[in-house]
Amino acid sequence: MLAYLIRRLTAVIVMLLVVTLVTFGIFFVFPKMTGADPALYFVGKQSDPAAIEGIRQKMGLDDPVLVQFGKFVVGLVAGREYVNGSDITSCAAPCFGYSFKTEQAVWPVLLDRMPVTFALAAGACLLWLLIGLSTGVVSALKRGTVIDRIAMSTALAGVSLPIYFTGLISLAVFVYALDWINGEYVPFAENPAEWFGGLLLPWITLAFLYAAMYARLTRATMLEVLGEDYIRTARAKGLGERTVIGKHAMRSTMTPILTVLGLDLGALVGGAVLTETTFNLPGMGTAAIKAIGDRDLPIIIGVTLVAALAIVVANLVVDMLYAVIDPRVRLS
Amino acid sequence: MTSPRSKKFRTAAGTAVVLAALLSTAACGGGTESKDDKAGAGFNAATKGVINKSDAKGGTLKFIGTQDADSWDPQRGYYGFMWDFARYYTRQLVSYTPEPGSKSTSLTPDLATGLAEVSDDGKTYKYTLRDGITWEDGSPVTSQDIKYGIERAWAQDVISGGPVYLMNVLDPKGEYKGPYKDKSKDKLGLKAIETPDEKTIVFKLPEPNGDFEQMLAMPAASPVKQDKDTKSKYGLKPFSNGPYKFDSYTPNKSMVLVRNPEWKKDSDPIRAALPDRITVTFTTNADDMDNRLLKGDYDLDINATGLGQAARAKALQDEDYKANLDNPQTGFIRYAVFPQTVKPLDNIECRKAIIYAADPKSLQNARGGPQAGGDIAANMLPPAIKGADPKYDPYNLLDGKPDVAKAKEALKACGKPDGFSTTIAVRNNKPIEIATAESMQNALGKVGIKAQIDQFDGAQTASVIGSPKVVKDKGYGIIIMGWGADFPTGQGFSQPLVDGRFILESGNNNFSELDDKEINGLFDKALKETDPEAAGAIYGEMNKKVSEAAVYLPFTHEKNIIWRSSRLTNVYTADSYNGRYDYASLGVK
Amino acid sequence: MTAPLHDTGAAETAAVDVAADVPAAQIRGRSPWSIAWLRLKRDKVALSGGIAVVLLILVAVFAPLIVSAFGHPPNEFHEDRIDPLFGTPIGSFGGMSGDFLFGVEPVNGRDVFSRVVYGARISLLVAFLSAMVAVVMGSVFGVVAGYFGGWVDAAISRIMDLLLAFPQLLFIIALVSVVPNSLWGFTGSGVRMGVLVVVIGFFGWPYIGRIVRGQTLSLREREYVEAARSLGAGRFYILFRELLPNLVAPITVYTTLMIPTNILTEAALSFLGVGVKPPTPSWGQMLSKAVQTYEADPMFMVFPGVAIFITVLAFNLFGDGVRDALDPKASR
Repeated sequence: MLAYLIRRLTAVIVMLLVVTLVTFGIFFVFPKMTGADPALYFVGKQSDPAAIEGIRQKMGLDDPVLVQFGKFVVGLVAGREYVNGSDITSCAAPCFGYSFKTEQAVWPVLLDRMPVTFALAAGACLLWLLIGLSTGVVSALKRGTVIDRIAMSTALAGVSLPIYFTGLISLAVFVYALDWINGEYVPFAENPAEWFGGLLLPWITLAFLYAAMYARLTRATMLEVLGEDYIRTARAKGLGERTVIGKHAMRSTMTPILTVLGLDLGALVGGAVLTETTFNLPGMGTAAIKAIGDRDLPIIIGVTLVAALAIVVANLVVDMLYAVIDPRVRLS
Repeated sequence: MTSPRSKKFRTAAGTAVVLAALLSTAACGGGTESKDDKAGAGFNAATKGVINKSDAKGGTLKFIGTQDADSWDPQRGYYGFMWDFARYYTRQLVSYTPEPGSKSTSLTPDLATGLAEVSDDGKTYKYTLRDGITWEDGSPVTSQDIKYGIERAWAQDVISGGPVYLMNVLDPKGEYKGPYKDKSKDKLGLKAIETPDEKTIVFKLPEPNGDFEQMLAMPAASPVKQDKDTKSKYGLKPFSNGPYKFDSYTPNKSMVLVRNPEWKKDSDPIRAALPDRITVTFTTNADDMDNRLLKGDYDLDINATGLGQAARAKALQDEDYKANLDNPQTGFIRYAVFPQTVKPLDNIECRKAIIYAADPKSLQNARGGPQAGGDIAANMLPPAIKGADPKYDPYNLLDGKPDVAKAKEALKACGKPDGFSTTIAVRNNKPIEIATAESMQNALGKVGIKAQIDQFDGAQTASVIGSPKVVKDKGYGIIIMGWGADFPTGQGFSQPLVDGRFILESGNNNFSELDDKEINGLFDKALKETDPEAAGAIYGEMNKKVSEAAVYLPFTHEKNIIWRSSRLTNVYTADSYNGRYDYASLGVK
Repeated sequence: MTAPLHDTGAAETAAVDVAADVPAAQIRGRSPWSIAWLRLKRDKVALSGGIAVVLLILVAVFAPLIVSAFGHPPNEFHEDRIDPLFGTPIGSFGGMSGDFLFGVEPVNGRDVFSRVVYGARISLLVAFLSAMVAVVMGSVFGVVAGYFGGWVDAAISRIMDLLLAFPQLLFIIALVSVVPNSLWGFTGSGVRMGVLVVVIGFFGWPYIGRIVRGQTLSLREREYVEAARSLGAGRFYILFRELLPNLVAPITVYTTLMIPTNILTEAALSFLGVGVKPPTPSWGQMLSKAVQTYEADPMFMVFPGVAIFITVLAFNLFGDGVRDALDPKASR
């Protein structure tokens, strides 16, 4: 078990290094190939040559990409200093880079925004699992009935709607027209009730989309599982239907759902871009979109890394959960 | 466990509510909101005078916006709203008069006791500082602090982004290297500024410049206390000498200013300092922002770029909402410009063909129509600038119709009777500019000019269209841009656009690369004038020459539809801040 | 549909029925494809989805004809139909009339019907082509990884893990926005479309790659592959003549299910401002414009929104049907 963990963790670290390297390449090497100078992104309206030179100094843009990458990795572990003449900017470990556009170290920005994204992902996930799994199971058991049909067509409609479409309409109806909730994000520490109110619509909208997918997946897997021999055996043994479904069938059904859940949760951390922009949530997605618009590379790299980390960790957790749920799976 | 049937039912019911709500908001402008005692002062009232005059203190003034400042560092900020907002926490020797409309553009002494004593044929400017001007730690603001602050602009390698007028005027040869590389002990090595004592400051210009005092009104001329200078990070928490100081600031997220107890009201003739707290929220969804303004969650849009189309239509059609709107001139001209290095736009007749073929009315509509977009512009000088003549219309743009016959004639004269192909360059982050590009493309197509639209990265404006080489390489025959004056004179508006000596390798704004000896000479002549009226007459002459060169197609004299909440007191729009409300005067009920 | 739990499906019963009165020689002639077709034909929902898909493709192909018959050129301005003060269409329901079936676009008065019809071209083309990119890459790499195993498998699998670890939407946005407007001599909206296709496709292939790899792993131990090998068939012969044909079924299923996702991705990218360029119409781009006006002119949002919804729904229904038809185990 321990050896397994160590091996997986090593793989995680290698993976993250490669992700960083690729991200680096895209933003520092690619623009150069097409003739753009990253330093110019950081200069204002009147791009004074001294200003461009200063940025280049601070960011170390004249170093070869691998050296820049090396410095970045060292900074992650030990922190680093950006020096431009007498102007010294220090960035404490873990230094995910420093945004010269907003004059902030990337890590505190991420720390500030992470809770929003995590809360969004976790809340929505809870909702969609509840709705998606139950709908899927009921649909599978009542296969072919009107209930199944209705549930599945609703689910299909849910999958087919762009999230910003449902998001905007829910805002228009519940916030602007009916004024039931304020719908503005407030930090939990400030006012838990308003925090909940601010996240309610994003949770529901996001969960609507995912619940639909999970309902479809649950139903399909459940049907497949119900056809397996061991279910027939369990039934033949005279076990109650509740036990058969709840204990035996559910376990196998959970395996593919967990796989997808790992991917989805991880992806949401970096990819709830549309939900966050539509609802103005100050999470990592909005930070990333803003950064892409401003060409604020350090922030983009930071968000990419955290998101990749989330995906990899989520997958690791899922793999370990397999062993808990399905006794046939062994970690090796 | 949710029963699927009831879920379906609720979905259906929900859909009905959605549709009903959408249709009702569309039909009657969302008349369901209660607006009890929220009656506004009337449409456009704040452009005509001060509304809700009051000196009641207290309360929280709530700004919202989609765009954070480029920097809150007084020497780095260049966005118009930042200059307006900066008066909360920083003062200059002189500043704009807190009066509505065009009266706001005249200068009033701020840190100084009076306007400059000018001598030596306009080359020496002397100021004496007031008593009681203080930093947020209680120490007095000295002439050395002002000199140090101004010097920071020279350190472009560390604090880039701000305007460089003072640098160009005080040190045209670029001899001074900025305070961070200054070898002198007090870091005050700039020769052009003298501080004989703590209360006196003297500027010595190598060449006279009639607009010099205007440049001292910019935030870039603010004092900075040397031991509080955090260099590139100063914008995160500038050390205040105004009525408010930074309490918290998270870029692109939020900002809170609180009272600076050390500021003394009797030392400051400009700032009303009514609210106790000022908050700014930065958001990502512009439509959501408009709705929250209308709902009353916030008082005003800090960017003041105007309500979006949906909110505009909603608010203008509802009498109650309409009373909370203003429709000021921003002083911006929106235009298309033709780089003369790109063939066949090197030929004046081909340029004229584009001007005649374009549809001014359609371009105005793309900008938002006569109210939200502004009046059709006939030439390249905004009405608020001395020397402007909005009626001067050599290409009959004010008729509002394309002149196909004249366009075809011009095409013949250019040697391209069947038209030609060219590229329209437009910023990708400005939907309205893209709409104007589509309008031009459509109109030009009717006379055989095939234009394709190239959207460049708006974040890289300085290095794309700001580089004459890139413009030529990419064949940008038409560039769509907008321009507002940094200070309200012909120099402040036109010189960067049309003076041949302002063509830069990068960060260029003279996109047409117009380099006409006569025009350049007129600028030199106007700069030597100390009488603004006389200078204005010269700028008027210069502007006619620009029109004759046919390198610009002006679209509109920009106007905005901006929102003020009913809570606001002391509201008026100021020409000095592009028609924004004068933030320093605002209070809340 | 109303079949008992362990019935293998209506289509198989049909096959048995047919077998009863047809000579054995003819039964062998019935390929899995014709069986699947029989099954699909009985699935009315999937069939209607399929018909909708075909209709959509026809609309896209014959867009110029349809528009010349029922609409106005998609880029033609009709500003006389716009209220200049508000920029909204004159008349109720977004200016709908016999002349302008779906009304006109705010501000410039372009024919919404024509733009929705032409938008089908962009949406479908981008979705199809990017699915192709993903399918080709996924199949080739998947088969190679599964068949050769060893370090080839390890390398390809790691690359797939890596790609899955990237926050995709974010990365696509970032990538699309750093690619310059003109590339290798091409300019205009063609370049952007090409970039969209490549980028969306590139991030999609690991999903197919994983499935194909898994299938290949199980297939390569089958007797017929053994037989081919013992007869001295070359690796590439086995790969492409023996293995690939047997993978066509799962690949087809995933392709039909990938297309709707790609349509949504294209729409999302256009919504975020990095999609195809104006004046080329696309549904996502129309939606993103409509967002600015949806309260004043809801109809302009409804048409592209419904177009996306119907298209995605049709593809999903059809895809589900194809899966059920090709894979009797995952029966409905």
